[in-house]
Amino acid sequence: MATRVNPKLIDDLEIYGAQDVSKCYHCGNCSAVCPFSQGERIFPRRSMRHLQLGLEERLQADLEPWLCYYCGECSEDCPREAEPGETMMSLRRWLTSRYDFSGISRLFYRSWKAELWAILLVALLTGVGFLLLGFVQGDLEIYDGPGAFLPSHIVHWFDWGMAAVLVILLGINCARMWWFTMGKEGRANGTHVPLGQYLARAFLVPYHFITQARYSRCEHKRPWAVHLVLMLSYVTMLVLIMFFLGSMQAGPGIDWRVHVFGYAAALGLVVTVIFAMRGRVTRTEAHYKHSHESDWIFLILLLTVAVTGILQHILHRAGLDAAANIVYVVHLMGVVPMLVLEVPFGKWAHMAYRPLAMYFSDLQPRAVPSRSRVEPVRPAGASSGRA
Amino acid sequence: MRVAVYFCQENPEAGGGVNLDSVAKYAANLPDVVQVKSLGVRPKLSPEPLAVEIGEQGLDRLVVAGDSPGYFKPAFTRAMALAGRDPAEVRLASFREHGAVSHDQTERAKAIVACAVSGVPFWLAAVPKFTTVHPDVLVVGAGIAGIQAALEIADAGKRVYLIERTGTIGGHMAMFDKTFPTLDCAACILTPKMVAVGQHEMIELLTMSEVEAVAGLPGDYRVTIRRQPRRVDPDACVTCAACSEACPVTVPSEFDCGIASRNAIYMPFPQAVPNAYLVDEASCRYIQSGGEKCGVCVRKCPKGCIDLDQGVELVEVQVGSIVLATGYDVYDATRIERYGYGVYPNVLTALEFERLTNASGPTSGRIVTQTLRHNKRTKRDEWVFDPAGEPPASVAIIHCVGSRDHNHNSYCSRVCCMYSLKFAHLVREKLPDSACFEFYIDMRAFGKGYEEFAERIREEGTFVVRGRSGKITEADGRLLIRGEDILSDSMLEFPVDMVLLSVGLVPAHGADRLGALLGVGCDDDGWFSELDYNGDPTDTERGGVFVAGACQGPKDIPDTVAQASAVAAGALRSILSGRGYGSMSTLLLSDIEARARELAVGMGPAARRGD
Repeated sequence: MATRVNPKLIDDLEIYGAQDVSKCYHCGNCSAVCPFSQGERIFPRRSMRHLQLGLEERLQADLEPWLCYYCGECSEDCPREAEPGETMMSLRRWLTSRYDFSGISRLFYRSWKAELWAILLVALLTGVGFLLLGFVQGDLEIYDGPGAFLPSHIVHWFDWGMAAVLVILLGINCARMWWFTMGKEGRANGTHVPLGQYLARAFLVPYHFITQARYSRCEHKRPWAVHLVLMLSYVTMLVLIMFFLGSMQAGPGIDWRVHVFGYAAALGLVVTVIFAMRGRVTRTEAHYKHSHESDWIFLILLLTVAVTGILQHILHRAGLDAAANIVYVVHLMGVVPMLVLEVPFGKWAHMAYRPLAMYFSDLQPRAVPSRSRVEPVRPAGASSGRA
Repeated sequence: MRVAVYFCQENPEAGGGVNLDSVAKYAANLPDVVQVKSLGVRPKLSPEPLAVEIGEQGLDRLVVAGDSPGYFKPAFTRAMALAGRDPAEVRLASFREHGAVSHDQTERAKAIVACAVSGVPFWLAAVPKFTTVHPDVLVVGAGIAGIQAALEIADAGKRVYLIERTGTIGGHMAMFDKTFPTLDCAACILTPKMVAVGQHEMIELLTMSEVEAVAGLPGDYRVTIRRQPRRVDPDACVTCAACSEACPVTVPSEFDCGIASRNAIYMPFPQAVPNAYLVDEASCRYIQSGGEKCGVCVRKCPKGCIDLDQGVELVEVQVGSIVLATGYDVYDATRIERYGYGVYPNVLTALEFERLTNASGPTSGRIVTQTLRHNKRTKRDEWVFDPAGEPPASVAIIHCVGSRDHNHNSYCSRVCCMYSLKFAHLVREKLPDSACFEFYIDMRAFGKGYEEFAERIREEGTFVVRGRSGKITEADGRLLIRGEDILSDSMLEFPVDMVLLSVGLVPAHGADRLGALLGVGCDDDGWFSELDYNGDPTDTERGGVFVAGACQGPKDIPDTVAQASAVAAGALRSILSGRGYGSMSTLLLSDIEARARELAVGMGPAARRGD
């Protein structure tokens, strides 16, 4: 099969943040220092090469970008300042836009203004919607219980509805990811992974999602710790909202069985987000050296949501129910766009793609020849001889 | 003659530091100049309006001035042709080409414009005044470059003062085992030259000496030389070694790059010139204790030639020319932590390996790994190269250590690929059962017979791997090397017994100070700047001061020797003619102007002399 080359790909990736790919002179230093570059999975240099050559389809089929955690060591040691770490980051953005079926992700990564307008639009709709809900059926002066401005059971249903939509959207993108990296690739190679293997190794997805064990193998441990705290805080908060929203919202007392988790998660979120923001401003750590506009939008959204969430809780306990309700609406105006736009189309999609990539990369060596195998045509004399 | 001057800048950031307003004002006052225009940065030029202007003003000559005016010349040439004038009368005043790039070089930029207005090439008019030249020559640095230059000049019957910082001449070449690509014995080439220097009646050799101060003008320099005390009379010393055998001090030997030790009173190596012992002030117990302790060598010396109380001597010499041949140092490999140099005993730099594999080295040329040995005197275990030690079963050589790297030196050190290949040959020759791996980025085999040499090394069975290894760790007492084999698209991670780091070259320490003393500039990397890279590669901006060898930039031995001989020719040219060039920096604008006008008279218009 002929290989299609897109010579403009390297310019295209500039929009996603990879500015210095052409500087690379292929010394292999980056692959050598990367603890994850092993066996068949050689990166970042090979990805740099594919980019320089414009091998779009090969890059699209690669799982390597998701195996990189951007510890930044490759960029620090790069003799050409070609920023291999940032290139892998940009490839993740590019892949996210590739997996996304709707084209929204592509639009957002290429134009931060479009992303911002979309966020504002969704926020506005959310705000209007919840204000209507509040004024139609409740009382601004009441936060919880009967007559509440935003009753927890309605918000709860809304949450579940939104979650279902998000799972479908992200599910479609994950399926596309599977097709690019496993299905289509397997067909091209005349191999497939047996279903039994898929089932037997499925535990890897939750395992990598929860522990991020791979990240901890990077030489620098701090980014892993920060990322783990951020992720765990977020997941904790998600569980609380999805299953215990009633207890969360009930007051004015404090239900310690639920709230202790809430406080820990809120603290974790605020501290790690501020830490990440500070890092992106001071640029002392390699993985914070380059910031795409989407990184900032993501962090600002997250901070807004965390701060308003904490604030409405405090206001309610202080007895200022009207103020708490207003802040609650603002909070939802942050939460909804953050989830609706960032999870399937933005940076947050990586919470699905990364564990999946590890799952797939574990499965790929387990592939077996398909029945209708087409013998691949090898050029004569292409032996495995060393040059 | 009616002349118009146009200023066009191509890239003001790269070479536009000149004060253009001042130059423009100056140009307007030049005779024949009727119009001066500033067109700014990268102007869009069309020939037609220019042709109209040429016709209206009746211009005979156009001068295009700027950092790189050649970019804009075609439009002006076309305009002249359209206006029916001689297109050859478009003259360039190129600031960058003639070395006017910074603010304080504005005067030079004016001179460049003046020459262009007169229609005279800058290099013809900007010749520093000739000076009378004292026939003696000072050569600073006695490596192969200094030795070669000194011998050439002395053989022509001129007096040479050859000064050397260390206790012996020979420099780095004396440390080498073999030369590439011929695999000649380095010492067999060098030592006869060293002996010739030591015996030459026209060469006055001053070792342990450095330039302290320089006075005078080109052609007549008075150089003060600071001579550190040798503390052993070289004429009386018979190198019987009675002193060093008695010396209680042992320190790492500089000549052996620290892989062997020496005493405080020592000879750097047996073939040293002058062939005599010397005392190292920093480690001598007598000197460090202020004369209270030790002094045993003085008592043991059968010739009574040791004077531990000898002091510093200042020597003043009068010379007409000065040759800089200060050579290089190697890059400090401890600055690249991931290679583990200084942490793992069997990670060696190139120079250390030269000593290890050298037949006159501490192991008599046996390639062995370090062994742990208990030192009774210090009561500590130390890593040493024992001639009876274990030879390495596999050796990895890493190229470009500290070179071609924006985190270290961005330049290519030029010699490392070739000496690395030489190492591979030596390893495979001495240990035929061993495996040898070269990790390279690009193989730079640029000289006569070099590519063939690289091919030969591959055929000899060395694994030449494209991909610079990135990391060395220790595992089970061996060195674990990790890298990418790019051509076979695979990761490599395997244990080796020895790693050689092909460290790059950096300017010798103190070269910047010497350059400042003499008024010779250094480039961004610290190498001495030559007057013109292509046309005058041995002269410097300072009249009568020449550069030879690696102090001008990384160089291999053949190139160094060739350049040293060229320097000798340059020095002899000025001595024999009795005239040398002055310094470019002493040139006055008025001198260049006057000379340009003088030359312009003899030159008709419309010449095809180039700009």
